[in-house]
Amino acid sequence: MALDYEVPRDKRLLYWLGDKLIEYRHPVSVVVIIVTALFAYWGFQLQLVTSFGDLLPQDHPYIKIHNRYSGTFGGANNINVMIQVKEGSIFTVETLNKIWKMTEGLDKVYGVNHNQIDSIAHRTVRYLKVAAGGTMRAQPVMLEPVKTAEEAANIRRIVHNAENIYGLLVSLDDKAALIRANFIEGRLDYKRIFTEVNENVVAPFSDATTEVFVAGEPRLYGWVYNYAGDVFFILVITWCIEWVLRWQYFHDWRGALRPTITGVIAAFWGLGFIHLIGLALDPLMLVMPFLITARAVSHAIQMHDRYYEEFEKSGWHKRRAIVAAFGELFVPTLSGITADAFGVLVILLVPVVMLQKLAITASWWILAITISEMLLNPIVYYYLKPPEPELVVMRERGSFRKGINWFTGRLLTTRGRAMTVVLWLAATLVAFYFMRGLTIGDPTAASPLLWLDSPYNVSHKAIQDKFGGVEPLIVVAEGYDKDAMKDPGALRNMERFQRYLERDPSIGYSFSLADIIRAVNMVFHELEPKWGVIPDNWVDVGGLFFIYFSGSPPTETAKYVDPSYTTAHVTFFCKDHKGENIRRIIKECKEFISGTQIEDLGITLTTGQDDAVVIKTVAAEPIWEKAGPSWVVGSQASGDAPFKPGDRIVAVGKAPVKNEAEFRTALAAEAGHTTLLDFKIERGGQSLESTVGAPWKAVFKLAGGLVGTLAAANEELVKNDVLMNFLGFFTMYMIMLFTYRSFAAGLYLLAPLALSNIMVNGYMAANDIGVNIHTLPLVTVGLGFGIDYGLYIVSRTIEEIRVRGSLEDSVREALETSGKAVTFTAVTMVISTVFWTTSHIRFNAEMGLLLAIWMAISYVGSQTLTPVLIVLFKPRFIMREANRSPDLTSMTAQRAAR
Amino acid sequence: MHLGMWNSIAIVLGFSFFVIFLDEYVVKPWRHKKWERLAASGDKEAERLLNMARSAKVSDE
Repeated sequence: MALDYEVPRDKRLLYWLGDKLIEYRHPVSVVVIIVTALFAYWGFQLQLVTSFGDLLPQDHPYIKIHNRYSGTFGGANNINVMIQVKEGSIFTVETLNKIWKMTEGLDKVYGVNHNQIDSIAHRTVRYLKVAAGGTMRAQPVMLEPVKTAEEAANIRRIVHNAENIYGLLVSLDDKAALIRANFIEGRLDYKRIFTEVNENVVAPFSDATTEVFVAGEPRLYGWVYNYAGDVFFILVITWCIEWVLRWQYFHDWRGALRPTITGVIAAFWGLGFIHLIGLALDPLMLVMPFLITARAVSHAIQMHDRYYEEFEKSGWHKRRAIVAAFGELFVPTLSGITADAFGVLVILLVPVVMLQKLAITASWWILAITISEMLLNPIVYYYLKPPEPELVVMRERGSFRKGINWFTGRLLTTRGRAMTVVLWLAATLVAFYFMRGLTIGDPTAASPLLWLDSPYNVSHKAIQDKFGGVEPLIVVAEGYDKDAMKDPGALRNMERFQRYLERDPSIGYSFSLADIIRAVNMVFHELEPKWGVIPDNWVDVGGLFFIYFSGSPPTETAKYVDPSYTTAHVTFFCKDHKGENIRRIIKECKEFISGTQIEDLGITLTTGQDDAVVIKTVAAEPIWEKAGPSWVVGSQASGDAPFKPGDRIVAVGKAPVKNEAEFRTALAAEAGHTTLLDFKIERGGQSLESTVGAPWKAVFKLAGGLVGTLAAANEELVKNDVLMNFLGFFTMYMIMLFTYRSFAAGLYLLAPLALSNIMVNGYMAANDIGVNIHTLPLVTVGLGFGIDYGLYIVSRTIEEIRVRGSLEDSVREALETSGKAVTFTAVTMVISTVFWTTSHIRFNAEMGLLLAIWMAISYVGSQTLTPVLIVLFKPRFIMREANRSPDLTSMTAQRAAR
Repeated sequence: MHLGMWNSIAIVLGFSFFVIFLDEYVVKPWRHKKWERLAASGDKEAERLLNMARSAKVSDE
C-alpha cells in the first residue's frame, strides 16, 4: 500500500521512508536478523578484561619513566601480604615457617617477578654477616625453614639489626611480617592471581592464631573480577522490574516487548562490535552497557507511546499510525541518538586507552540504536498485532496521566513558574557551595573501587596501620654515566631527598641505595653508629657495594641498582593515595629536585621586575673553569664564572623563562636529557649565552609506582576534566543548532543540564567522590543522555504550536503527551542505573548512582525549567512556527499531477 | 543460587513469558470487566470511551 493519504508536506520524505520500510519488511528483516545473529555470536565470545596499562596516560612523562623502569625497580603492581599473629611475636618456629611457606607460595603465583619479592624468607632479602677472618658476605635472612626456637631467636636478632628489614618487612612490635611481590605488567591475569594467592598464601595459613591480609593493585582488580558476577543479579532484577513497569504503563505486554527488542538488538551489535575490534569488557565499565541499553529502551518507549496516539488519531489504522509515529519522531530520535553518540565520542580526546576504547565502543553501540529503533521499528510494529482500541482509549484515564496533567497545570501558573525558577536557583547555589570541595583523584585513603568495609579495604587499612605506608612512589635517580651511583654526591642527594620528603605526613618511610651503603659501612666498622654514613670518595663506596652485592646475582641486585651502577631509585612508601596528598608530594619532589640543582650550580635566586628570574648571589663553590666554549667544574679558581649576581636568566635550553617556577621546570627538564645546560642570560643590558656542564652525576626523574602513575593520571584529569565539560556542552550545542536551526535552542536545552552537572559535582564533593579516570566520562555521557528528554518536549512544542498558535497551550500539550512518556522513560532510566548501588563494586555502585542522579535532575529540569523558560522568554525558534500548520500532501496525488 | 549468564537469561525469558501469559489470560480480561463494571455503574466517561472503543474499526493493514 502506498501513501495514498495526506501527510505533512515538510515530513513527506520521512513518511515515505517509513512506508517503504514496511513495504520491504521481509528483506530488511532478513538482513538485520543475519547481521544481528553474527554480532550476537561475537558478543557471546566477549570476556571481562582489565588492563592496568590501559588505565594510564601512556604519553605522560611519569608513565614513560614508569614503563622504562618498572621491570627492574618495581611497578605499580605489587601485592602486599601481611601475616599477623594475635598473641606473642612472629619469631616462633611455627610462624616463621608459615612465612617461609607463604613466600614460597607467592613465588609460585602466575606472573610474579621472582626477583622482586621482599620477605624475610626470600633469597633476595639479605643481611651482612662477618665471617671468620674478618670477611663479610651478604646472605639471606632465612636459608631454610626454621627447626628450633634458637634459630627463631637468631632470626629475630638479625632482623632487629638490619635497617633494610626492621620496620619495613617486620613490624616494630614484632607481631607482623610483610611479604611484598611485584608482578610483571604484561602477565597480569587478575583472576588467576586472585585465585592462586587465595589457594597458596591465604587459605592454608589463616587460623585461630594468625591473620593474613592481602592488598595491592593486582589483588584489588582480583576482587573486582570476583564481584563482576553482580552484573547478572542486577540484569535479572532490572529486566523484571522494567518489564512490569512497561507492561503497566502500556497496559499491554507488547509495550514491554517492543522496547526490549530494541535494547537486545542494540546490545548484540554493541557487544559483538567490541569483540570484533579486539577489545574486551572492563568490569569497571559494566554500568555503561546498562545505561546505553536503557537509552535504547527509552527511545523505544517514546515511539511506542506515539504509536498509540497516532493509532487513535488515524482512525485505528495500523500502518498509518506506524508511519506517522516514525515520521513525527524521526528528528528528535535521530537527534537524540546523535547527541548521545557524539557526546560519548568526545571522550576519545582523553589520552587514556581505556577511555578511548569506551568512547569507540559506546558510540558504536549508541549508533546501533538507529538500526534497532528507527530502521526496525516500523517493521516490528507491522508484524505485531495492533493494540485493542479499548486499551488505548481507557489507558488515558489512568492515574499516571492524571498526575502528569495535574502537575503541568500547576507548573504553568504564574506562581508555578516563579517557584520553578526560584527553586532551581536555590538548588544551584547549594550545589555550588558543596562543589568547592570537589577533589581530583581519590579523596580517601581506601580504594574507591570497593566499599570501605570490603575485605580488600579492611586488609589495606590493616597493612597501612602496621607498616605506615605500602603505596610506592618510585623516583628514579638516572646517572649520566656508568658508576654514577658510586658518586658520594649522588648518594648524599638521595639521602637528603629521603629526609626532605619524609617530613611529609603522608610518607610512611623510604628506601634507597644510600640506606644500603650506610648500613654496610656501619657493619664494616663493627656496627658503630658513627660509621653509618656515606663514605667521602667513590673508591670506598665502590668497595662497600662490592662487599654487599658480590654474593648476589645481577637479577637480585637490579632491584636496587642496575649492574653498571648508572641508575638507582628512591622509593617512598606512602600512607595513602589521596589526590591532594599525591599532588603535594609531587610538588615537594619537584621543589627538592630543582632546589638541589640550583644549589649545585652555586646560585641563589631573587625576583626582578615582572617576576623575572635574577641571580642574587653566586657561591664560591663550585669552582668554574672554561673548557672550550663550556663552563665545567674545576679545581682551580679562575676568577670567572658563568653566573654573576644581577644576571637575569631568560631561557634554559630552548625554553623561555619568565618566572622562577618556569625556570625550575625548564632546568629540571634540560638536566633530564643533557649534561650541557644552555642558559640565555641578560647582563648589563647585553644578551649572553652560557653553556654549563652539569655539576651533578645523576638526575631524579618522576615517577613510578602506584603513586607515580596516579600522579600522572590525576595531572591528565585536571587538564581533561575542563576539556570534557567544554567539549561535551559544545557538541550538544552544535547538534541543537543543526536540529532547530537556532542559536538559542541549545541554551534552553542545555541550561537544565548545566545545572544538573553542578548538582552532581556538588553531590560528589559532599560524598567524598573524587574526579578520577572512571568518573571522567560521566559528564559527557550524562549530557548526551540528559538532553534527550528536552528534545522530545521541545520538538512536540514546535509541532503543537503550528496547529494551536498559543505557546502556553503548546507547552502544556507537549508536557502532557511527550512529557508523560519522558517521565516514564526517566523512571526506567533511573531504575536501570540505580540498581547498581547494590553492587559490591563501589565504583560501579557510585557511577550508577551518579548517573541516576544525573538522569533524574536533567529529567526534572527538562520537565520544569525548560518549559518555564520557554513560556517566560518565548524563544523565536519556537514562536516563528506559530500557526504555520504544515501543508498536507498526498504522494499519489503528487505522482498523478506529474 | 549463583547467577551466571545462562541461568540469568533463562530467568528473564521465563519471567517475560510469565508476564505475557498473565496479561493475555488474567489482567486484560480483568481490566475489560472492570471497565464494563464502571460503565454499568453509571460512569459516563467510561461508558463514552468504551462505546468509542467498541465502535472502532481496526485496520490491520
